[in-house]
Amino acid sequence: MVLGKELMYILTPLLEAIAPFIPGEVFPYFFTMEMFQRALISAVLVTIVAGLLGTFLLIRNLALIGDGLAHVSFGGVAIGVVLGATSPLYYALVFSVFASIMIYELQSREILTGDASIAIFLTGMLAFGLVALRIGGGGITTDIEGYLFGNLLLIDESDLDMIAYICLFSILILFKISSGLLATTVDPLSAAVQGIPVREIGLLFSVITAAVVVSMVQVVGALLVTSLLVTPAATAQLVGRSFRSCMIWTQIFGLSSVMLGLYFSSELETGSGSMIALVAATIFSVVAILHNFKFFSIFTKSM
Amino acid sequence: MQQNSIVDDCCDPPILEVNNLTVIRSGKVVLKDIDLVVHKGEFIGLVGPNGSGKSTLLLSLLGVLKSHKGSISIYGNQPSPKNFFGRVGWVSQAASYLPRQVKLTVRELVKLGTINAKNMFSWSDYGRSEKVIKAIEMVGLEDVIDADISKLSGGQRQRAVIARALATEADFILLDEPLVGMDRNARNSLLKLLDKLCHDSGKTILMVSHDLTAIRQTAHRMIFLEEKIRFDGPTNLFPDLETLADLRGITPVHDGPIHFHSNEVPWASEVIE
Repeated sequence: MVLGKELMYILTPLLEAIAPFIPGEVFPYFFTMEMFQRALISAVLVTIVAGLLGTFLLIRNLALIGDGLAHVSFGGVAIGVVLGATSPLYYALVFSVFASIMIYELQSREILTGDASIAIFLTGMLAFGLVALRIGGGGITTDIEGYLFGNLLLIDESDLDMIAYICLFSILILFKISSGLLATTVDPLSAAVQGIPVREIGLLFSVITAAVVVSMVQVVGALLVTSLLVTPAATAQLVGRSFRSCMIWTQIFGLSSVMLGLYFSSELETGSGSMIALVAATIFSVVAILHNFKFFSIFTKSM
Repeated sequence: MQQNSIVDDCCDPPILEVNNLTVIRSGKVVLKDIDLVVHKGEFIGLVGPNGSGKSTLLLSLLGVLKSHKGSISIYGNQPSPKNFFGRVGWVSQAASYLPRQVKLTVRELVKLGTINAKNMFSWSDYGRSEKVIKAIEMVGLEDVIDADISKLSGGQRQRAVIARALATEADFILLDEPLVGMDRNARNSLLKLLDKLCHDSGKTILMVSHDLTAIRQTAHRMIFLEEKIRFDGPTNLFPDLETLADLRGITPVHDGPIHFHSNEVPWASEVIE
């Protein structure tokens, strides 16, 4: 498990180099102190991969799957805590991947529609975790609250490793399957006739979504995962003119939400996850209002 | 009649051959003893009422529905996506279901047609961009090539989906209800386009529709399907409404001509006055 260390080794000189130009009293620590640097790198990584997933989730009408899987992960974290695991996130990973595959199967076999299957797994597995926590552990402690609302500064080396592995693998796989994934998402039957492995791609996408949600839990918290998964992608749909340009806009909106969110949360001493979510929603509102006044038509013609 | 002679003289093996196809879905016989032969260059209209098994037939031909009795062979092979690419194109009803939540340009949509199991993981273009532009020109959408599909009219969107099927360079194109939700002009120009594809580009077309009048203006050969094939022949021999009712087993309700008894309906006299 060295990927996190390698990333830190490569990126810290860069961060330190731009640190003098960073405004604020506390915010520059994110570029100079190791604990903060780890937090910043994790936040940026999950934002990039969440943005890549978001557009596909929108087409698949799965905007809330992130929320569902995050609740499921929280159930997993609870079980991990009860069993005395050192990294409960691995339990969350197992729970989340299982739920994601089950949701996909229920949907593709037309046993339940998207929303209903998400709802059942969200509540069922969260409840399982909470009951186990009450019986075997001491209820909800401050430690566990970190997973609900996110706690960037508690990310240690092994957490960063896990986040880095999940994010880099997901980005690689998503780039590799993106055209097939888009084809199966837009029109599954046509894709099947063209010989694209619709089922395999769908399952792979489900597993990636599940893993990415787990990697996001510690950064923004289980309750706010959707803010990075869906909000930037939805904002991009207002501005972009094509699928490709929307992908680029999603990254722009996602990364600005994270940087502004971290800036405001460190200067105003609020929770980072909630501030990131608030900034993302604010950006959406501003863009939606400007969009109504056709503000963006001036410079989106070229995109 | 001319169509028949072309078929008879044809020395090429048929594109599609269906023998004794019977499909049972959830205990109900949907298709029974279907025999069907399609040759290159034909334009076939497949008509039938709702629930007559048109979609089931198409899904069986595409290899999506595998549980059936009898045999299907397309280009001499069992129906399977592996044998389809570059040969069989599918235009689904999806034109009206295309995603509206996200932006997708005509070019991007049509490009999806060029993906197959072999090239989907590769970064290289393999001349796909040119195929896309060619397909878009064939359906006459070059003016809106970079427009978002959700901004197009229903007719344009259907053309974009057809271009997607053309981009696979398929010769045999199956269309499922492409005329749904279109106004008269869009419908006419779409039928003209399909006719052109058949005559100028040598495509073989099998089109499902329940717009009988529209399809009769275009197709060379008509198939009336309701569980069994009730009629299969050149369009000019397609039966009139009474014969059709007879073929479908619909018995007349009235003995003689239908009368309207105005004095039995209280409001009828007012309307007539």
